[in-house]
Amino acid sequence: MKQLKKYFALTRLGILETIQWRLALFVMVLGNLLYLTLIYFLWKAIFTSAGTDVVNGMTFEMTMVYLVLASSLYGVVELYLVWEIGRNIQNGKIVLDLLRPFKYKQYVFWENSGTLVVNFFVTFIPTFIIVGLMTKGTIPLGWNLVYFFVAFIFSIVINYNIDFIVGTICLYTESIWGINMMRQVIVSLLSGATIPLAFFPDRVASVVKYLPFRAIYDTPLTLLMTKNPDLQTVMSKLGMSLFWVVAISIFSAIFWRISIKQVTVNGG
Amino acid sequence: MENIIELKNVTKEFKVLNRHEGLKGSLKDLFSRDYKIVRAVDNINLEVAQGEIVGFLGPNGAGKSTTIKMMTGVLEPSAGELIINNRIPYKDRSKNSQEMGVVFGQRSQLWWALPLVESFKLLKDIYQIPDENYNAMLKLYGSMVDLDSLLHKPVRQMSLGQRTLSDILAAFLHNPKVVFLDEPTIGLDVAMKSKIREMILELNQKKNTTVILTTHDMGDVDALCQRIVIIDQGKMLYDNDIEHLKKFFGAYRTLKIRPREKVTEAAAKLKEQLAEFEVSVTNDDTWISILVNEEKVRVMKILEQVQEILNVRDMQLEEISTEDVIKKIYNSPLESGEEVAL
Amino acid sequence: MNQASTTKSGIVLQKRGLAFYTKIYFKIIVQDIKSKMSYRADFIISTIGMIATNIAGFIAFLIMFGKFPSINGWSYYEILFLYGFSLISITPTQCLLDNNWSLRRYVYDGDFVKYCFRPINLWFYYISEVFDVKGFSQLFFGIGTLIYAWVKLGLPVTVLMVVELLVALVTASLFMMALQNAAAASCFWIQNSFWLLDISLKMKDYAKYPVTIFNDVFKFIFTFILPVAFMAYYPSLAILRPDEVPVLTWLSPVLGIAAFYGSYKLWMKGASKYDGSGS
Repeated sequence: MKQLKKYFALTRLGILETIQWRLALFVMVLGNLLYLTLIYFLWKAIFTSAGTDVVNGMTFEMTMVYLVLASSLYGVVELYLVWEIGRNIQNGKIVLDLLRPFKYKQYVFWENSGTLVVNFFVTFIPTFIIVGLMTKGTIPLGWNLVYFFVAFIFSIVINYNIDFIVGTICLYTESIWGINMMRQVIVSLLSGATIPLAFFPDRVASVVKYLPFRAIYDTPLTLLMTKNPDLQTVMSKLGMSLFWVVAISIFSAIFWRISIKQVTVNGG
Repeated sequence: MENIIELKNVTKEFKVLNRHEGLKGSLKDLFSRDYKIVRAVDNINLEVAQGEIVGFLGPNGAGKSTTIKMMTGVLEPSAGELIINNRIPYKDRSKNSQEMGVVFGQRSQLWWALPLVESFKLLKDIYQIPDENYNAMLKLYGSMVDLDSLLHKPVRQMSLGQRTLSDILAAFLHNPKVVFLDEPTIGLDVAMKSKIREMILELNQKKNTTVILTTHDMGDVDALCQRIVIIDQGKMLYDNDIEHLKKFFGAYRTLKIRPREKVTEAAAKLKEQLAEFEVSVTNDDTWISILVNEEKVRVMKILEQVQEILNVRDMQLEEISTEDVIKKIYNSPLESGEEVAL
Repeated sequence: MNQASTTKSGIVLQKRGLAFYTKIYFKIIVQDIKSKMSYRADFIISTIGMIATNIAGFIAFLIMFGKFPSINGWSYYEILFLYGFSLISITPTQCLLDNNWSLRRYVYDGDFVKYCFRPINLWFYYISEVFDVKGFSQLFFGIGTLIYAWVKLGLPVTVLMVVELLVALVTASLFMMALQNAAAASCFWIQNSFWLLDISLKMKDYAKYPVTIFNDVFKFIFTFILPVAFMAYYPSLAILRPDEVPVLTWLSPVLGIAAFYGSYKLWMKGASKYDGSGS
């Protein structure tokens, strides 16, 4: 309990700091709206040109709801931590962080968790409510909310671990930009953040299905949008995510441990 | 002599948002329009002649850096007149920079990843320094420091001291009329500090360059400045040479006596018998301190008296240090500038 | 102002004109590339990252158009043309204005002050510090895509067409630079310009779609307020649909110059407002 309290103290500070950027916050919200408008018109044109209401089992409305929520989820989950870890490695601040009474991986996460919480309430919740009201019933209200929330937590963990692994690679390469760029591109394509996985060609989709990336956007969002999903589907989806949560957490922890040893041995 | 810097009633105000505490306060701040005006520099007058070295002293946040930023043209004053080198600095920043050199604390203006010489070459082009002047300058630098070892070292691999040194050399490279140094010796070891001071002094003398520096370090002031300006809370408290300051506050000297007798008893005896000289006597376990105002009585006279009263084992004479003077000014904020500006 | 002025030591200064700035720019760029080479691993990885980004963008494009052969009357190859076009015209922003991405950090930390003491144009001095070589990778992608689409569309290759293409590319580049420059400059007022920059970057991803997909309100917004429509659509119309060229296409070069100049002025205004205190 005491342990948790010390982490929540970090969360609170993070919230305070994020709110300090007041004008930037307004701009962020406005910018997101503009971006969504672009997506809206683009997909509308696409569906109109296609000539059918349903493409790959998705209606225009469902596609929109999915993409809007995906983009707001992106605003929550994306904390630009690779930059932070990479920069701390480059300027040596990491040595100080390693001396803190936290595990470094935990420390970075909790230090930024405040931003995550603010983003969730500023970006995701309003988007969710507005989309829910506007589309009247595309998002069912029931057990799916619970499934979504569980999948959302998994999504945060998996995304953070990917960030952390990529950040760890910075220990070897001294490069942040390039590596982070690759991560961002791969994650947003393979997780279904920019194009719903339903639109992928079958062969590609059958591979992407088994990768950890879909747990970040595709799984939570499809769970959220499915009305009364059968328990087996839910469990298999969540089970898959959980598997990746465990696997990737263990991997990133081991990778970090090996890497940091390497660095201290080499006196980097 | 011609004045290179003139400040007339210069004032700088900032608009600052009143921030509230805690989570609730922060939420309130999101929409708040509650600003307050902070006067960082308050009605400062100053004239500096070509070739002077002037030290700006004051605690953190006193307004030293703001004043310097106005003189370099980065900031526009809220009120008052400011002329540097016959120009208004903020009006034509880039033209004005031609005759200025600036070193701002530990923010290196050099190209980080490259050997120093590459930075120098670029500065040569940017400031349009003719070959002969450039070479002469490098020769001068070479006579002052071990230039070859610096020139071919990438800046990022330099120690803080080397980097500061390089930054100062870069600031003098185009032979400007004024060089501003903001905390030039901060964070350096004693040897490096004295090296940098020597260098600044030599460049000032050889090139007749006006140097304005801010510092916390009395060592800088003692080594470099004929003249000091003390700023606190945006106001100018003092503007004169360092001897005046010392004389004003420092007519006092402390005579320290270590008696063969028991210290407390000896001190009591002295207190009683020296009463007529208006000195204050204090003691610790081994030493008795007698604070003497030399305008009233000479220290030697007191020492003679003491020797008649006590059996002196050891003695010391302490000047009041410039640090004490500054501390004294800070601790007893003066009502108006005139009292100190002698 | 005088053509030349004299300094303390009697040096006669040349007026700092275009020749001076060009010379300085190349000298600074060479230095920057030299220092990039001193972090070789970073350079190679960044270039790979850039290429990966372009490939992924292309894959996303293929996935979309695997399902939908045309959008709003625009064929696959026409949109491919716009795609290639937008990749080429983003290149100057990428290569020349990359340092704008660091601006908010310099301003926030108070380090921006170090740029303020040089006797040359502040924007120029700041921007010249970084030249992003890896930006070229998308230039090659863009040229390849454009040529492929050009051939597939059966467009003729005439001197006039090539000139039109070049003018159109320069115009679109000016708009992209203007948007990024203005977005970066916002950090002088709102401290954190990252999101705006991020948005401006995202916008260019949508430059490749014809502006006709929007309704009137947003057509107006994306034409005149956030000039996404000028980043590929309007300038290319002269080439793609030579029979129905709107006035805006002819005006776009002038508007591009105006937009760029405006963003520069905004940037300079922000910088003069900068107080160096760091927040």
